[in-house]
Amino acid sequence: MSNQTTINLEINGRIQSLAVEPRVTLLDALRDHLELTGTKKGCDQGQCGACTVHVDGERVLSCLTLAVQVEGRAVTTIEGLSDPGAELHPVQSAFLEHDAFQCGYCTPGQIMSAVSCIREGHAGSDEEIREYMSGNLCRCGAYPHIVEAVREAAKVMS
Amino acid sequence: MTIVDTRIKHGDASDGLLGGRLARIDGPAKITGAADYAMEHAPEGMVYAVIVDSTIASGRVVAIDTSAAEAYPGVLMVLTPDNALTIKTATDWTGAPPPAVPYEPLAREITFAGQHIAAVIAETFEQATAAAALVKVTYEETAPISSFDDPRSGEGYPIDMMTKEWGDAEAALAIAPVRIEQEYKTPREYNVPIEPHGLIAHWEGDMLTLWEPSQWIDGMSRTYAEWFSIPFENVRMLSPYIGGGFGSKALPTRYGAVAAIAARMLDRPVKLAITRPQTFTAFGGRPATRQTIALGATREGKLLSIVHRSANETSMDDVAVEPLGSVTSIMYAVPNFSSRQNIVPVNTVKPGALRAPGENPSAFGIECAIDELAYEVGIDPLDIRLLNYAEEDPHAKKPWSTRRLREAYAAGAEAFGWAKRSPSVRSMREGKQLIGYGVAAGTYPVRRTPGEAMVRILSNGTVEVASSGIDMGQGTYTILAQTAAEAIGVPVETVVVKLGDSALPRAPVAGGSQLANLMTGAVHVAALAARDELIGLAINDQNSPFRDLQANTLTIEGGQMSSPRDAGSSVAIADVMRRTGRDRIEALRNTLPESLRNKDDHFRNFTTISTMLSPTEGDYSMHSWCVHFVEVRVDVDFGTVRVSRMVSALDSGRLYNPKLAESQWKGGIIMGIGQALLEEGLVDQRNGHVMNNNLGDYLVPTNADIPDLKVISVGVPDTNASILGGKAVGELAIVGVAPAIANAVYHATGIRVRDLPITLEKLI
Repeated sequence: MSNQTTINLEINGRIQSLAVEPRVTLLDALRDHLELTGTKKGCDQGQCGACTVHVDGERVLSCLTLAVQVEGRAVTTIEGLSDPGAELHPVQSAFLEHDAFQCGYCTPGQIMSAVSCIREGHAGSDEEIREYMSGNLCRCGAYPHIVEAVREAAKVMS
Repeated sequence: MTIVDTRIKHGDASDGLLGGRLARIDGPAKITGAADYAMEHAPEGMVYAVIVDSTIASGRVVAIDTSAAEAYPGVLMVLTPDNALTIKTATDWTGAPPPAVPYEPLAREITFAGQHIAAVIAETFEQATAAAALVKVTYEETAPISSFDDPRSGEGYPIDMMTKEWGDAEAALAIAPVRIEQEYKTPREYNVPIEPHGLIAHWEGDMLTLWEPSQWIDGMSRTYAEWFSIPFENVRMLSPYIGGGFGSKALPTRYGAVAAIAARMLDRPVKLAITRPQTFTAFGGRPATRQTIALGATREGKLLSIVHRSANETSMDDVAVEPLGSVTSIMYAVPNFSSRQNIVPVNTVKPGALRAPGENPSAFGIECAIDELAYEVGIDPLDIRLLNYAEEDPHAKKPWSTRRLREAYAAGAEAFGWAKRSPSVRSMREGKQLIGYGVAAGTYPVRRTPGEAMVRILSNGTVEVASSGIDMGQGTYTILAQTAAEAIGVPVETVVVKLGDSALPRAPVAGGSQLANLMTGAVHVAALAARDELIGLAINDQNSPFRDLQANTLTIEGGQMSSPRDAGSSVAIADVMRRTGRDRIEALRNTLPESLRNKDDHFRNFTTISTMLSPTEGDYSMHSWCVHFVEVRVDVDFGTVRVSRMVSALDSGRLYNPKLAESQWKGGIIMGIGQALLEEGLVDQRNGHVMNNNLGDYLVPTNADIPDLKVISVGVPDTNASILGGKAVGELAIVGVAPAIANAVYHATGIRVRDLPITLEKLI
């Protein structure tokens, strides 16, 4: 069907207008319509966490969210976590320092989840970090380094 | 083309040298979302293809009703075997010439569930997805043989080249004082990179551009060229970053042909991203395997004979061999040995390569069996490994180039605290948790293919490295920058590395854990050539600041050139370039032997595996080695197994960047934990479907499944194995993990699980 609807989304602090069908997911809207490909499609069925973004400050799976659902809500993607050219977010720096990724494909989702994990107050121990970071799969197996990175970033952010 | 520059903060300047712990230089792009993976390009006018798969595993397609799909808004074409452009069969990856028959990526005859039979191309992804559901297929179904557990599959047929025999294994076994015999099984396992597979195909006249995640740009480009009867040079493949592959992105696929055919027919760029469920059937993972291992030994545990019989599943129409005797034949000194292997055709997609194909399941068999023998004769599982230590390659009868396995046993045991192990099973316990210690060794061969690289020194003093080799997370960008920086004598920050583009110098497959060694070798050679030319220029050019020194040579350090005769006055490379009027110095070098430097062999070297040397070619047998020490905790009531602690000691020779190599090792170990405890492709025996074809049901390790992992490097540079002394890294560390865990579970519980994964119902 081509019953497109025009929606206004606030992405990374900027209002963007786009015409999409109501069935278009937030993930596909970001990647295919707004050229924000930092948010990754790993499974498209809510199982891997690669598409994690923040909506009104909370982590959300953008593949299970329709674009029309987030009108009037603030969406933050990996591209909006730190300003281009400016200093990296502490979680980003920690991921680099601790080599908390290899192929990098799950990484934006991991980082968005890690920011939330810390903000939610779930980075109190390694065990807690492991539990609250378990919605994001990493097949390269960077988990121990992700735990180190979240632990370090939590210290900086507190 | 992707350019990764190297503005990375790091500890000190030595990080930038080869062997330094430089943070990965593609890191900033990956943590900010700026890294452009192949399928994230969006050429003007791009449309979307969605594949329709067979819902039966055996039979044929009688009719395809495309009318509803064609009538759907936005649909441009429904591709079926009846209307698809005819293409040719291509040379396969071994270099075998193709049969003169068309290649049909959409099937009429069905040999597995999930086989591609049609494709819908529409203006949007949503339209193509919805319309694909409207394609109606009528089948004539026959009863499938769903797995090699089905008795109708039979014993399969032997693969003679897998046979390895010396001594008289059967006779020696028959008279051995101690004999044990068991069967070990591994299920179908899947690669599951988090970036799913797919591509964007774009024709401009007879030029085909492909944005496709690829472990082998040149090999895959050759296939596309031959499919469409266009020159190799007409194919441009770009794969700047790859979101994981683990063996599954090295070869061309049916859906790749479908996308390129659709793009040709529509004259529009076509994006085809297969769905996550389709990643379980569009290509194969590791086949299911079974091995029977009989060990004959003295009462002291000294091996007298190994008789090994094995089989793996293959597809109905093709040959997939998972070499199950690869570790069995080299790990231990044994005077009598026999290994034979069958493959068993079943209704599955052709199995593919998954991290350490062969070595991985092979080690599961022999490393469990040796553990069983240790208990049988009553000695420590570590001691039995030392007792039967192979001082040379028992199969090839050649000395090891390097084998630091004894050092690995010692370092690992010490760091783990192996001495604290109580010998009896079920003898260590904390509350409701049974505790077990297990050990197992692993190995992976050093595979060698010549490489090629371009190194340029530019007028501003920066250095460029270029290759069609790829980085899927192994760290290629980073270690090649380190290699060039060290060889030329410039800060690593001034080196730019370009990869993943068929327009760049050739590279063989990023598989078999060979790329790092062959590419650092090629870059080293090219960088030294560029450096020599720069020094020659600085000595000889009449405008050079060094002209008057009458020097024989010059040194370069930190991007500054100086003369040994006048160390005080140094001149920046950029100044030398400016004064001599050169805009670049360029060196394209390969490491091919003289005999392969003609055009045909050069092409063959990079587009097939026919020139890859075996690990025993030459005077030595060359392998990486490792050992894993595992502590498991098994809930006494529920049978749940947790890996609570692990120490691994590994010999990969020289490490070009320990920070990144350790990451790769840990990644392999984690995949091994998944293999041991979680991963299993469940096949519906009635209809041949892979039932758990998604990430919620095919379980891979999550963060909460993984404890702290300690890895220890015990390697030393091995210049027989590679130009700069490295051995295999990427596939090594997964080998031996599953048997170490199985052995630990036995120690904890007294229950020997010989079929992976070790799930709770097998322990209660």
